[in-house]
Amino acid sequence: MFLNELLLPVLMVTFMLTVGAYVVAVLDRLIAGAFGAPQAGSVWLAPMARGAWLMTQHANATEAPDWQAWRLAPALYLALAAIGLAVVPWSESLVATDLVTSVVLWGSVEALATVVIFLHGWSANALLPLIGGYRYVALGLSYILISMFVLIGVALPAESLQFTQVVASQEALWNVLRQPLGLPLFLIVGLGMTFWGPLNLADSADLAGGTASEISGPPRLVWDVARAAMLVAFSGVAASAFLGGWLGPWLPGPLWMAIKMLAVLLVLLLLGRLLPRIAPERCVTLMWVVLLPLSFLDLVWAGIGALL
Amino acid sequence: MAVSWLRKLASRTQVPVFPVLGKQGDRALRYLALSPEIELVDSPRHASVLLIAGEVPADRFEPLRRVHDQLPYPFTTLWFRSEPWPHLENVPRVEKLDELPGALITAHRELMAGQRDSAPRILTDKPPNPWKGEGDFGQGGEGMMGGVPYGRPMAMNMQDDIRDGLTLDSLTFRLGPFFSAFPPGMMAEITLQGDLVQTWSTQLAPYPQSLDPVFFTARERPVPIAELELARARHHLHRLFQALRLAGLENASLDALRLAQNLSTSSTLGGLRRRLVRSGFFRLSSMEGGVLDPEQARQIGGPAARAAGLDDDLRLEDAGYRRLRFSPACQTHGNTRARWQQTLNEIDQSLHLAQQAERDEVYTSEVDRIETPRGPWSEQGPEDASPLLDEVLPGLEWGEALATVASLDVAAVVNEGGGTQTPDELRVVQGGSGNVFK
Repeated sequence: MFLNELLLPVLMVTFMLTVGAYVVAVLDRLIAGAFGAPQAGSVWLAPMARGAWLMTQHANATEAPDWQAWRLAPALYLALAAIGLAVVPWSESLVATDLVTSVVLWGSVEALATVVIFLHGWSANALLPLIGGYRYVALGLSYILISMFVLIGVALPAESLQFTQVVASQEALWNVLRQPLGLPLFLIVGLGMTFWGPLNLADSADLAGGTASEISGPPRLVWDVARAAMLVAFSGVAASAFLGGWLGPWLPGPLWMAIKMLAVLLVLLLLGRLLPRIAPERCVTLMWVVLLPLSFLDLVWAGIGALL
Repeated sequence: MAVSWLRKLASRTQVPVFPVLGKQGDRALRYLALSPEIELVDSPRHASVLLIAGEVPADRFEPLRRVHDQLPYPFTTLWFRSEPWPHLENVPRVEKLDELPGALITAHRELMAGQRDSAPRILTDKPPNPWKGEGDFGQGGEGMMGGVPYGRPMAMNMQDDIRDGLTLDSLTFRLGPFFSAFPPGMMAEITLQGDLVQTWSTQLAPYPQSLDPVFFTARERPVPIAELELARARHHLHRLFQALRLAGLENASLDALRLAQNLSTSSTLGGLRRRLVRSGFFRLSSMEGGVLDPEQARQIGGPAARAAGLDDDLRLEDAGYRRLRFSPACQTHGNTRARWQQTLNEIDQSLHLAQQAERDEVYTSEVDRIETPRGPWSEQGPEDASPLLDEVLPGLEWGEALATVASLDVAAVVNEGGGTQTPDELRVVQGGSGNVFK
């Protein structure tokens, strides 16, 4: 019991956090290089060299920060990424925590991410991080609603809120085809909750790094790893909810899962490099006026599909 | 053992450099942006090396000291074409641009290897203003409100919201003169409500910018229009580089820089323009703000004026340009989007003019009245227009305000050409076609 329900799941999630963050860093560098960013040295070594540098750099102080919250926020975001990774099923039986309510748990990870990101910006007691935090909260509610509708959509045909059941329900037809609006909408949610690329309003260049503009050294390393790990966790959830998870011919289930997660990651990272940061007001308008009604439509579509 | 292994690995990372730009320091910035071993960072907290590029005027020393002390240990400094402060005589200095990346790498590696000590703190670790032990919270005022704790006004809603009536606590602060999204040297006092700019007061004007020497030569004698137009296109591409970087399109920004570096009469803008349109730069980014009325547009001049519908362009008065059938193309909306569309059109137009002028060997005819990429230069060169930001930016969201600042070329132009660069360096930095300095 100790081995199966505690040690192995913890090891599995830790492994995924580490490898996942490394893969994100390497892929992002490869993509940047392919689009013409000047690069020196080995792409494979670069993330580790950067990690080592952040380990040697001191964690700085600002004037009167909320120390506990400031130090805790990166760790909490990493913990949320770990929770996300824990509910991603690699096969019918290979899943760190196969909760019957894992879809709901993922929903709470998305909601809590908003709290943690705001906390990170607010607790630094500095201007630019604070604006980043405010901006994220303005964005957060709009994407969480979209996510909820889209996830209910995939739970309907499975008649379950368990990711393993959601995957099993795609045996005949993957949700990406059954509910064509679902995955594109969910990918936007992913960019939002990881504040990546076009939806990076919290840690953006116009705020000199936003919520992360005042951190250095190990806390910054944790924050960067957490963001990358969250992207991996999100890819896992997207692959399970829409791309049939471990299902696929010839290859073993976990390998299919890895391929599908990599595909989702690649799309997210490409979008991150190809699109400019969306203006916050335009972003919120787009979410409420266009994407939210589309997510209603997706849910109605899924409901009709489930009834027929 | 473990530590030395970690430091050895750390020394192999791209060198994170926070650039503090002095006068004409932006050239070093562009050079480093294309150096693979260097990573330019926007926050001093993210840097290992503080680069002071160009001469920093005395009235910016105090902010420079504060930036210096914001770098986390271990860090080091490098002064490029700049005089270190008296008590920092032993810090490394570099004069040649092509030696700069190497010097930065060496500085970082030596720091990691422990061969170089971390730079010392300059300021004492105490609040900039004393904490007044009066009032409920020691803020120096009555009750919870009032007082200026540590010399800063408290966040209070003293002003009505100018957007939608939802009044939030307003926050007043100063930013600059080394904030990466501002023109080099500019400092402003800003009041925000949420992320909405309530008031903007430019405190320090940006440094006067130097133009390509060909513009100064054109004030003395006729010059080949091909050279002039290539230099104009290059100036606009350099500004586009900054704006794209700010918009989160890093790869496209480097493309703009590379195009500027390799610009010749056979260059075309088509690829970069297509890339920008496809990426959604004109539709998704903050583009609606910063609308200039005709009077404001005229004060700034140049592409900003033409983007607001004014067809003022001194090239119309030049016989050489008339021979090339030049006529200015204008936009009408006068906002950030119009300015970037105008800028791209003008780059395109300059490349076509350069091509034609090179083929027909056309020279300018006017020397007293020339159109620089920054605006008209007749009796006086283009002057500082940064006070205009105080009128244009209130009411905009933060992102929109900064996108507007990036789209407006407000810095004055220095009255003399030259500088401290050799012609070879200018070719490297500005990407001269090779025939510019004949």
